[in-house]
Amino acid sequence: MAEYIVKENALRAFFQALAQERRLLAPVRVGGKLQMAEARPEEVTLDYGNTHQSPKSAFFPQTERLMAFHKDTAQSDPFVYKPLGLDKITPTVLFGLRPCDAQGLAICDQVFQNDRFTDPYWKTKYESSIKIGLACDQPGPACFCTAVGGSPYGEAGLDALAAVKDAGLALKAITEAGAEFLKKLPGLESGAAESELAERRKAVESKMPGPLDQAKVAAGAILDIFNQPHWKDTADRCLNCGTCTFVCPTCHCFDIQDEQNDKGGVRMRNWDTCMSWLYTVHGTGHNPRPTKTERMRQRFLHKLKYIPLKQNGQSGCIGCGRCVTLCPVNIDIREVAKQMNG
Amino acid sequence: MHNPFLPYPVRIAMLRVETEDKNLRTFKFEFVNPGDEEKFAYMPGQFAELSVPGQGEIPIGIASSPTEKGSVMFTVNRVGQVSSYMHNMKEGDIMGLRGPLGHPYPLDTLEGKNIIIIAGGFAVTTLRSTIVWMLQPENRPKYGRITFVYGARTPGLLCFKDDWSEWQKRDDIDVHVTIDREAPGWSGKVGFVPAVTKEVCPPPENTAAIICGPPVMIKFTQPVLAEAGYSPDNIIMSLENRMKCGLGICGRCNVGPEYVCKDGPVFTLSQLNQLPREY
Repeated sequence: MAEYIVKENALRAFFQALAQERRLLAPVRVGGKLQMAEARPEEVTLDYGNTHQSPKSAFFPQTERLMAFHKDTAQSDPFVYKPLGLDKITPTVLFGLRPCDAQGLAICDQVFQNDRFTDPYWKTKYESSIKIGLACDQPGPACFCTAVGGSPYGEAGLDALAAVKDAGLALKAITEAGAEFLKKLPGLESGAAESELAERRKAVESKMPGPLDQAKVAAGAILDIFNQPHWKDTADRCLNCGTCTFVCPTCHCFDIQDEQNDKGGVRMRNWDTCMSWLYTVHGTGHNPRPTKTERMRQRFLHKLKYIPLKQNGQSGCIGCGRCVTLCPVNIDIREVAKQMNG
Repeated sequence: MHNPFLPYPVRIAMLRVETEDKNLRTFKFEFVNPGDEEKFAYMPGQFAELSVPGQGEIPIGIASSPTEKGSVMFTVNRVGQVSSYMHNMKEGDIMGLRGPLGHPYPLDTLEGKNIIIIAGGFAVTTLRSTIVWMLQPENRPKYGRITFVYGARTPGLLCFKDDWSEWQKRDDIDVHVTIDREAPGWSGKVGFVPAVTKEVCPPPENTAAIICGPPVMIKFTQPVLAEAGYSPDNIIMSLENRMKCGLGICGRCNVGPEYVCKDGPVFTLSQLNQLPREY
């Protein structure tokens, strides 16, 4: 695959070229926080740990209008929903995805395009985008991608991977789509990047935590782990606030709601959280997950048992550390994973 | 690309009050666009999202059989926003139908077996679909003895009276309809579903049971079947959970790693015995 070097003085031109080709999403400061958002070439920074929120909203917005209908009986098809947004997908390039987040998006992709159904709202955005990763040379204090099968130089879910080199970039294509995109990018100079990336990968990985032992979780029966006694202790602290679910790159749950006025209405989906009582309550009032203990247990089982079962052993936690940093009561998924494996 | 979120427009072709408490209404829908009926090809045991524009969607089991061409039938309990709204709709009104969703009962693997179908209350819907399908002349020879146990609290709460009273006249299905307590004008069986099941269930050899009903009925019927010697592989159940997408994506209906919508709603008891009881 093609390799490139972007020198420091060519960096601005590189981002300009990206923004000219496609809508550019990159880490920029929004309201005091670093986020993966639409960026002007001059705003893009290479100096960051990771974005505050995961980049999932690029393909799965927090609120998304799915379809609309009108009530005008003089027009055709009153009260018939018509899809929204699928016919005008803006070609997008994401620069600066951290490898953990790219892995997270790849896990979501298996859900949105599962063994029976394809979600067109996800697929049209996810598959048409070019995803350029930026490897981590200085992983943050709460980072643990290496503990859950990832790497600061991981390539899963990426079309190309870059690393900062002499205040510029070393860059290599990973997929055909990535190679094709970079080949056509004006002003990009070829140069050896591969060996440097491989060397640095080793160096950074050696400073990162080793694999989290999940052998017993993988081999254990679902009910045995489900019935472990430690859940109540962790749940005593849990506030069910849902922060972990909103910042998690692999949390993909949503609610569907209709809104209307005199003229018509829309059906939209909004991020939802399994920490909420309403999430599972039946019409009869019966709730299969009635207290915060069941709801918190569900989230950890989903990440650490159910997703690995359904996705060839791939952990549903990709080690970005956002939930560890942002949990108001300091629940640490690594500690829970150890208890589950205990 | 097929959009599985987009409902097919349908017209309410027929609606009737199903039970004396007026909480259940049966709707027959006709597809507005020619061709959509073929796209909505379903089998007994599957469900669909009924979509009311501006109100929302509800997942409901399909009560008609695919052999009943021209319309699709559902019986809807008045519970929440969408179902209450539907109970005030009229014949001719336009709404939406999304699906079919979920897996049907394993009618192919049940071929050659005796079958006991056990229903409680309005959970009888997908079982009505199953029986209508099995009693078709081209399907009936595929199965051995068919036994149907159906219970409700009172005679007025029994659904589909026209159907089961016709089935009672046939000699290729044993129909046992029961109510919980004696009631004026009722000359049929009296007693709870588990007790009737105990009395009439065929021997377990080469026999499968399909159960659908309220949790309390299932709780007391399962031991009856176990005692009669039915193996958990031959006890087939249909689950319900709160749902939104119906596609295994939105997350909420999971029981362990399985989504009730996409991987169910039909499970064998041996499958369920491995999973948390989060339903």
